[in-house]
Amino acid sequence: MKSEVQGPKSETRNPKPRVGVFVCHCGINIAGTVKIPELVERVGKMPGVAVVKDYKYTCSDPGQQMIRDSVKNDQLDRVIVACCSPTLHETTFRNACAEAGLNPYLCEIANIREQCSWVTEDKDKATDKASGIIRTVLAQAENDQPLESIVVPINKRALVIGAGIAGIQAALDIANAGYEVVLVEKEPSIGGHMAQLSETFPTLDCSQCILTPRTVETGRHPKIKLLTYSEVESVSGYVGNFRVRIRQKARYVDFDACTGCGLCMEKCPGRAESSFERGMARRKAIYRLLPQAVPNRPVIDPKSCTYLTKGKCGVCAKICPTQAIRYDDKDTFVEEEVGAIVMATGYELFDATKLGAYGAGEVPDVIDGLAFERLLSASGPTSGEVKRPSDGKAPKRIVFVQCAGSRDSTQGMPYCSKICCMYTAKQAILYRHRVHDGEAVICYIDVRTPGKGFEEFYKRATDDGIQYLRGKVSKIFRQGDKVVVWAADTLAGRKVELEADMVVLATAVVANPDGVALARKLKTQIDTHGFMTEAHPKLRPVETLTAGFFLAGCGQGPKDIPETVAQASAAAAKVLAMFGSTRLTHSPTVAVVDEEICVGCGNCERTCTYDAVKVDEKRGIAVVNAALCEGCGACAMSCPSGAMNHKNFTKKAICEMADSF
Amino acid sequence: MKYVYYPGCTLYTKARSLDACARKAAERVGFELVEMPSWNCCGAIYNTASDDLAAQVGSVRNLAKASQLGDKLVTLCAACHNVLKRVDDRLNQPGNEVERNRLITFVDEKFERRVQVMHYLEVLKNDVGFDKVKEKVTRPLAGLKVASYYGCLMVRPKEVLQFDDPENPQVMDELMRALGAEPTKFDFKTECCGGYLVVNRRDVAKTASKRILDNARAWGAEAIVTTCPLCQYNLDKLRAGDSSIPVFYFTQLLGLATGLAPEELGFDCNSFDPVPFLESKGLLS
Repeated sequence: MKSEVQGPKSETRNPKPRVGVFVCHCGINIAGTVKIPELVERVGKMPGVAVVKDYKYTCSDPGQQMIRDSVKNDQLDRVIVACCSPTLHETTFRNACAEAGLNPYLCEIANIREQCSWVTEDKDKATDKASGIIRTVLAQAENDQPLESIVVPINKRALVIGAGIAGIQAALDIANAGYEVVLVEKEPSIGGHMAQLSETFPTLDCSQCILTPRTVETGRHPKIKLLTYSEVESVSGYVGNFRVRIRQKARYVDFDACTGCGLCMEKCPGRAESSFERGMARRKAIYRLLPQAVPNRPVIDPKSCTYLTKGKCGVCAKICPTQAIRYDDKDTFVEEEVGAIVMATGYELFDATKLGAYGAGEVPDVIDGLAFERLLSASGPTSGEVKRPSDGKAPKRIVFVQCAGSRDSTQGMPYCSKICCMYTAKQAILYRHRVHDGEAVICYIDVRTPGKGFEEFYKRATDDGIQYLRGKVSKIFRQGDKVVVWAADTLAGRKVELEADMVVLATAVVANPDGVALARKLKTQIDTHGFMTEAHPKLRPVETLTAGFFLAGCGQGPKDIPETVAQASAAAAKVLAMFGSTRLTHSPTVAVVDEEICVGCGNCERTCTYDAVKVDEKRGIAVVNAALCEGCGACAMSCPSGAMNHKNFTKKAICEMADSF
Repeated sequence: MKYVYYPGCTLYTKARSLDACARKAAERVGFELVEMPSWNCCGAIYNTASDDLAAQVGSVRNLAKASQLGDKLVTLCAACHNVLKRVDDRLNQPGNEVERNRLITFVDEKFERRVQVMHYLEVLKNDVGFDKVKEKVTRPLAGLKVASYYGCLMVRPKEVLQFDDPENPQVMDELMRALGAEPTKFDFKTECCGGYLVVNRRDVAKTASKRILDNARAWGAEAIVTTCPLCQYNLDKLRAGDSSIPVFYFTQLLGLATGLAPEELGFDCNSFDPVPFLESKGLLS
């Protein structure tokens, strides 16, 4: 009973607590392999075990009730549930114990499903193994101490990193619920890649038209602090209480004085290639990304400004009616305190020049999907007329190449980029709207249309006379003023040579490299391709394993606009759920230092990936920040003196567990 | 630096100029090729046979013999290089011990070590360094626009050859730049020259070769450079009648740039006489 457990001292007086073991059949998942009656009999003979019971589905209501009743009636002070992995039902059973009055941290899980019945064929061996696992956990349970959850306060402000449509949506949702948001964007204005798009599939509504109301609302929202042309330098602290250091890049323009009149941009003689126009146009040295920019203020690119490089010119300063130009501007730093962080760092396109056979970068009329969006866009370099980059002529035949770098484990990325089938169909349709006698050929491997209205949209493309050719493109090269595409037509079983005026590569969606670098710096988990990893692929899709960090948009994986917006709102909902409570609880199974043994060598500090352990220089001992500690145990393993231990998983317990097996 | 050298049969016959220039140019840039004694056929000509044993045993013996002489085996012919490299890979694949033991029982020579099979171009790039090569240039090939043609054997399979990007290789382009020439863009670097089809389907090989030459000239190339005797033969010979573009071995241009005398460069092996062209560029004076 709970009254018997009063901490370490009473434990030493009563070294053999009363343990109840509950063996779950998990339908046939466990019972199909492990011989339950034999197991129950063997467990019953183990020293210290007061009660053994088995049940078909222990996680069901009657199953939990059985545990609650047994805790009370059999006066149990330790509970072991032999069932599935603790990641699934540890919380369920600990809560059941707590309801019955037992400290929840005195309940342990013996995993006899994933680690036993699922991976063992022989029934006798499986039964032996299950018995061994339970005996081991018994040794652990006997060492367990009652623990209390750690409680931390919450700072109810959120940081959103990246102001594409994902970041904008998350920021607006949180701000509209009444909480302050700091929205950080590395570019001079917000909107991300969506601002570059022409029309959006499958409804063909203008991207800019649906985006601008959101960007304007974001820019004017009283609860949103917008930091453009800024990057997150570092994050310290822990869930509910982060300290964020943000670098505000030198803009050379005083945003408060500037009215956005645009005179400076008219007169500026400096030129540079425009990355917003995917290199197909040049911009001024003082520039904004697009006419609808939010904030509508220009910045100076120090690399192409003649005043900042050579000390000559100064036209913008002379002409500015409000004297807003600041040539002596420097990078500045801002510190913000927030309770939750949404990572919305977005995507980039795979570098097509890495696909040596496709001629990108060498043949000017081979461009990628985003570049073609700019050619279709009314605000693009050709004002929406489709003109090819080499000579400005309207292309009469365009070949679209899908899966350029996607589904390609040798040269590109092994995954499907998900959006290319649809945006290629869209681009082909829009091209034929602009160039009526134009011919569009789409080379594809499969056409994937798993979305609302997607299949109908694909049908529209084929009905519109767009040719679909099933086969991978092997080579693209220039011949005279034509671009030649070699492909296979796998339905007809022949090799095809297509002469085109222009080629559009639907290059793979990859995680934004700046986002990947940031995720590495902030130690949020990323997968082998740099996409951020969700805490659970099905059940916790917008959380990360680092508490307080949430995910939205293409930084987590390729997705289209509706899905991005849905995910961003989900991330915002998670932040709001957190802000809805006044305090946060944190698992107490964390590292703990025996201050009398610790010599302050610092191994633990160097090992910790959560920055949860620091050596106190004055006292010469390690100190654990329990709110930051995730209880991984790495510090305990690295401690040479044995001073560092993991609560309820002490070195003594581990040794006894090993001995008992 | 001394390297064990495996010339192969073609370099003693049709591709004499590939071999001769390579040996002399090596001395100029600071390494020496020591031909391994009593080498035998690499096995390339058996590659189309149904049993691939014969294609491998020859190279097993060559590799074993080379292992007694040094740790790096240098090749020039693209076919020899490809076969030696692939056999070496098969012998040393983890999990392939049974096949290895079977193969080595066919030869008397014992392996002393695993030799590193290197192409001459790899020696230039990795061991000598193109910067160093550049220093040794006495007659820069200034103004020579040259397309580097690699063919299929040098770059594929990528995992085994580990030579360069299989779609857009650069090594010879870099070498040409080091020699003072101007490498041109070229789309058909690794397209098929027609290969052995020249024997029974001359028309097919001719079409394939013509396509390669046309593309090179479309990019403004005045000459083509290659490392494969069969490619050189197809590109040079099949088009000799109506072509205006010489096809060199890279070693000929390396020799030319490092100051070998014109008569040492083996231009008599070229079907299309490149001498008037080189003279017009002022590169033989």
